[in-house]
Amino acid sequence: MTESAQSGKAIPVDAESSSTIPLETSILTGAVPLESILCTEELKRRPSRPPDHEKENRALVALVSALADSPSTIFQTLAETIQDITQCDSAGLSLLTRDGKTPNVDGKRFYWPAIAGMWNPHVGGGTPRNFGPCGDVLDQNRTLLFRHFERRYPYLLPVIPAAEECLLVPFYVAGKAVGTIWAIMHSDRRKFDAEDDRVMASLGKFASSAYQALVHIEDLKIQVAEREKAEAEVRELASGLEAKIRRLVEANVVGIVMWTLEGAIIHANEAFLHMLQYSRGDLATGRVRWTDLTPTEWRDRDERAIAELKATGIFQPLEKEYFRKDGSRVPVLLGGALFERSGKEGVAFVLDLSEQKRAERALRRSEAFLAESQHLSRIGSFSWRVATDEITWSEQLYRMCELEIGVPVTLELIRTRVHPEDVSLIEKMKMVHQASDGGNDFEWQYRLLMPNHSIKYMHAVAHAIRDQDGQLEYIAAVQDVTGRRLSEEALDKARLELARVARVMSLGALTASIAHEVNQPLSGIITNASTCLRMLDAEPPNMNGARETARRTIRDGHRASEVITRLRALFTKKDAAAELVDLNEATREVIALSLSELQGNRVILKTELADKLPVVKGDRVQLQQVILNLLRNASDAMKNINDRPKQLVIRTEPSEGNRVRVSVEDVGTGFEREQMNRLFEAFYTTKSDGMGIGLSVSRSIIENHHGSLCATSNEGPGSTFSFSLPCETAVASPNGIAAEKKLAARQD
Amino acid sequence: MEGRQLISVIDDDESVRESLPDLLKECGFDAQAFSSAEEFLASDQISETKCLILDVAMPGLSGPDLQRKLTQRRQKIPIIFITAHRDETVRPRLIEQGAVECLFKPFSETDLLTALNSALRVI
Repeated sequence: MTESAQSGKAIPVDAESSSTIPLETSILTGAVPLESILCTEELKRRPSRPPDHEKENRALVALVSALADSPSTIFQTLAETIQDITQCDSAGLSLLTRDGKTPNVDGKRFYWPAIAGMWNPHVGGGTPRNFGPCGDVLDQNRTLLFRHFERRYPYLLPVIPAAEECLLVPFYVAGKAVGTIWAIMHSDRRKFDAEDDRVMASLGKFASSAYQALVHIEDLKIQVAEREKAEAEVRELASGLEAKIRRLVEANVVGIVMWTLEGAIIHANEAFLHMLQYSRGDLATGRVRWTDLTPTEWRDRDERAIAELKATGIFQPLEKEYFRKDGSRVPVLLGGALFERSGKEGVAFVLDLSEQKRAERALRRSEAFLAESQHLSRIGSFSWRVATDEITWSEQLYRMCELEIGVPVTLELIRTRVHPEDVSLIEKMKMVHQASDGGNDFEWQYRLLMPNHSIKYMHAVAHAIRDQDGQLEYIAAVQDVTGRRLSEEALDKARLELARVARVMSLGALTASIAHEVNQPLSGIITNASTCLRMLDAEPPNMNGARETARRTIRDGHRASEVITRLRALFTKKDAAAELVDLNEATREVIALSLSELQGNRVILKTELADKLPVVKGDRVQLQQVILNLLRNASDAMKNINDRPKQLVIRTEPSEGNRVRVSVEDVGTGFEREQMNRLFEAFYTTKSDGMGIGLSVSRSIIENHHGSLCATSNEGPGSTFSFSLPCETAVASPNGIAAEKKLAARQD
Repeated sequence: MEGRQLISVIDDDESVRESLPDLLKECGFDAQAFSSAEEFLASDQISETKCLILDVAMPGLSGPDLQRKLTQRRQKIPIIFITAHRDETVRPRLIEQGAVECLFKPFSETDLLTALNSALRVI
């Protein structure tokens, strides 16, 4: 409560009211005990005035009449009646309320809706439920007579004139106390007695009835108000709907026609008439009937629509044709409903589908053109909707994959065609999508492995778009580039052949050079030998001459030998450097140099290079030539392998005897056991285009490095070529030093 | 060595210059060796030479160069080319240009004498 209330000043409860009735709910203890202000028992002891039944009856009849005629003022009438019958100074009602005015049985305070007599100015005031005279009456559930109740409830002090005595009677609704009626004497000119008690009890019952009647009236008022509001809304809606329908009809956006089931057209808008080339005058003649407008082949559909109308009151939109006035046809979409479920009249909307049909024909033509273009250009199309994972192929793509047109496209189906070594387009799309969070364009090449084991080369260009719903979709054009690819391969092969021929030619030039160098001393040898023979055959033999020519023959023989020795030095690079070589590093360099060639052959290279591999001593370039040779041989051995991934493993590892091993393992064609011994012979080859000197030279180089080169057949497909070399610590060991000296001697 | 026909050998290879004249002499010819075409041209043996055994490839003037020069000088000396390059396409070309024979080193005594007989018959 407010400060001013606590200080005992009167506070108006209702600003609109002139009341100054205080309500002090915070004062929960009275100045005096309740018993000291109650004198109810005195009612029985006091001399009682005789009952005036006639007056009482008149009053009750008047009250009932007032309730019927003017229920809104019944409480005021009741208050005046109480004052009249009890001859008190003030009389009134207190009603429990929650919000200060509306009666409520669970209210926390009382308010005074009507007061007659001296307290009349205080109408609208009231007292708290938990600390006041009315609350005491409800708590004790009986009539109470108070004397100077302001002594206990100080907030009543300002309410003037003060109450000498106050008789309070509870009244009930459905067994619950909902308020009190009361009579007050402001002076002692008269005391309440047992007759007052009885009359008040009687009026209390009326108060209860009046209360219920008023509540009921209030409910009725609410119901009426709600119904009126609903009716107003319906009226408004109906008028709005009608207006909308009228606007729809008059807007001529769609054809609207009203008809009878028998075939008559009652009304049609301009759009409908224009669609069918009729005038309003034509319609007025009554000769334009929808049954006649329908071509024969569409009448079945009309009959089905009528059956639907009779069963459900509406017919679902359907496509049909109408005759125009000039006899041409117009494709339409129409749907409609009966005005009443069991009636015979209804309304339909009619949409002219001419444009749509033209567009559909154009689209079909465009699709056919696209399909033919795709067929001719061997380009298929592919779409993937990211959100739904829906994959769509063009017919051409089905043809390219040699799959039945229209079978559902799944990842499993795609995998049956994509080469096992390759990543399919859809998988690539998903990778790109995940990596880039969508929206990136890209190109992709992959192969198809067909059921007859033939290979097709595909080149796809994918483009990310968003559809009308904002959903991401990838569209790809997939071209069969097998022909181009085969041409490129043929070109590559021709280039390689050219390179081989060039090599052979340079080898021929080398051979010629060698022949020249050797033939010169050979020529001398033969000529000298011939001369020598002639000198010996002479008579007498020219011994000195023969000796001289024989000496020259020997000299030229040495010369020829020197030529051969020089050539060997040239081939084996006898001036090889002896440096520390990290075979891992050397291998990586070779891989870097050969990577494009390996990739071109679609070789899957796997490297297993040992950590902390000991170094070896030798000629780095020569050793790299060996590794390169082994890599190329392995790649060549897998050239024609198509049924398995072309896996090539290059491995470095420490091996027994303080050595380091480099192995190259392939899954190629391998070699037969009987070929094993010949593999390292010069000019022996298993390749169609090989010279047969690579492995021979390789072995020569490795043996020069005190190593060994060997070949083994794999348990699975392919073979493994490996060489091992003593590592640097071994070279530095006593035996190694000897070996090193031997190497040095050879190099000299 | 009167009455013996002079055969001039021109070759940049010393062993040929040493061995071939000796063989020719043993076969009844007179022989003279030159290490280059220029040396031969500068000598006074040109008119005496009955047959020229001429290396194809030499530093300076080559064998065919010398052949052309001699033709220009209208000196008709039969020429037997010798070469250590076994290029089968060279032989017909040289013969077409007037050579008696082209022998590939090493050649046999018989082939040499056969060619010499042919050459000397030309005269």
